[in-house]
Amino acid sequence: MAEIVFAAGIPHAPAIVGLFDKASPESQKVVRETFAGLSRDLRAARPDVLIVFANDHITNSRITQYPDFLIGMAPEHRGPHEWFKPWIGCRDYVVKGNPAVAEALFRGMTNRGVRMFASRKPLNFDDNISVPSTLLDLDKMPVTMVPVMQNCTVPPFPDQHRCYAVGQALGDFIRKDLPADMRIGLIGSGGLSHEPGGARYLFIDEAFDRWFIDRCVKADHERLLKELTIEKMEAAGSGGTSELLAWVVVMGAIGERPGHSFGYAICTDFRCGIGAVAWPLAA
Amino acid sequence: MGLEKFDPTLAGHDLVQDLKWDPALRAEFKRNEKAVLDRYALRPAERKAIEQRDFKALYDLGFHPYLGGQLSRFIYGNDAGAGALVANKMLIESLTKK
Repeated sequence: MAEIVFAAGIPHAPAIVGLFDKASPESQKVVRETFAGLSRDLRAARPDVLIVFANDHITNSRITQYPDFLIGMAPEHRGPHEWFKPWIGCRDYVVKGNPAVAEALFRGMTNRGVRMFASRKPLNFDDNISVPSTLLDLDKMPVTMVPVMQNCTVPPFPDQHRCYAVGQALGDFIRKDLPADMRIGLIGSGGLSHEPGGARYLFIDEAFDRWFIDRCVKADHERLLKELTIEKMEAAGSGGTSELLAWVVVMGAIGERPGHSFGYAICTDFRCGIGAVAWPLAA
Repeated sequence: MGLEKFDPTLAGHDLVQDLKWDPALRAEFKRNEKAVLDRYALRPAERKAIEQRDFKALYDLGFHPYLGGQLSRFIYGNDAGAGALVANKMLIESLTKK
């Protein structure tokens, strides 16, 4: 059975790159320390493959034919997509893909009753994959990546219960279908509260963010799933906050484990609450 | 004003997707917006809202806010520290007008 050696929920707000210099020293410190801590944990875990669930942001498919989960099966993953480069302000990157694991994931989730879609063509990445890839220097690590683009914003999208069940199927797939010596890292990319394109574009719900981080740190998934409704996430920032459902997939895969928070930054220039949680995994 | 009015059938969603994926179309949109809009089956009210930069009217018709934000960046600017901030400002002003 393959082993999950790293699991984390990670923010990908483009402004933590492009508008970093505008942020207060305190907020800059949280961003720096968050990604330094995540990078340290990730390198210590030495994963062979990173499976990254991230809000697709309507970047790869038309709304008229929108998948809830889209697996990237390409041999390499490049970004950011051309149009997003000036908006994010990050460097270009190429992270090696893993078509064999991507295919196994597609097959394994299908066999477990989870309808996913897959693309052998390169996917388009905006901040969803680009920010964690560049701030964690994934392209400079000996690791491959399988991105899974998640529908977190086109109604009706999978709720917290479905995402947790998808995560449980993912964990079962990793343990039963992948080679015994393979080391897997899981990332849920997104959050915290924000309302992209909405009337409350500059609104950040600090109370929600601190509540959510606290719930992720404490190992009580039944309570988390009861309370983390789509309605609650919409109230904390319509169309954006719900990308925290990518974190829920990761929590479903690893089961109840206490997490570690790297702090919290609230900065209007970021247009998003910033925080990350890693869940240490026993060897 | 969130996703509660979302209407997946609006042709303007495809317009934004195509602008995102096609640099040539994006350039044409800057040069001759009318010609680009003519190629999409926009409803009259939808087209009028786009032409008048009336995002509130567009969202009331059911336009997805995430794509609305991107439409504002095609119109006003897409650079992190410059045009995108103008786009944010113009979008919010439109959405919060009385």
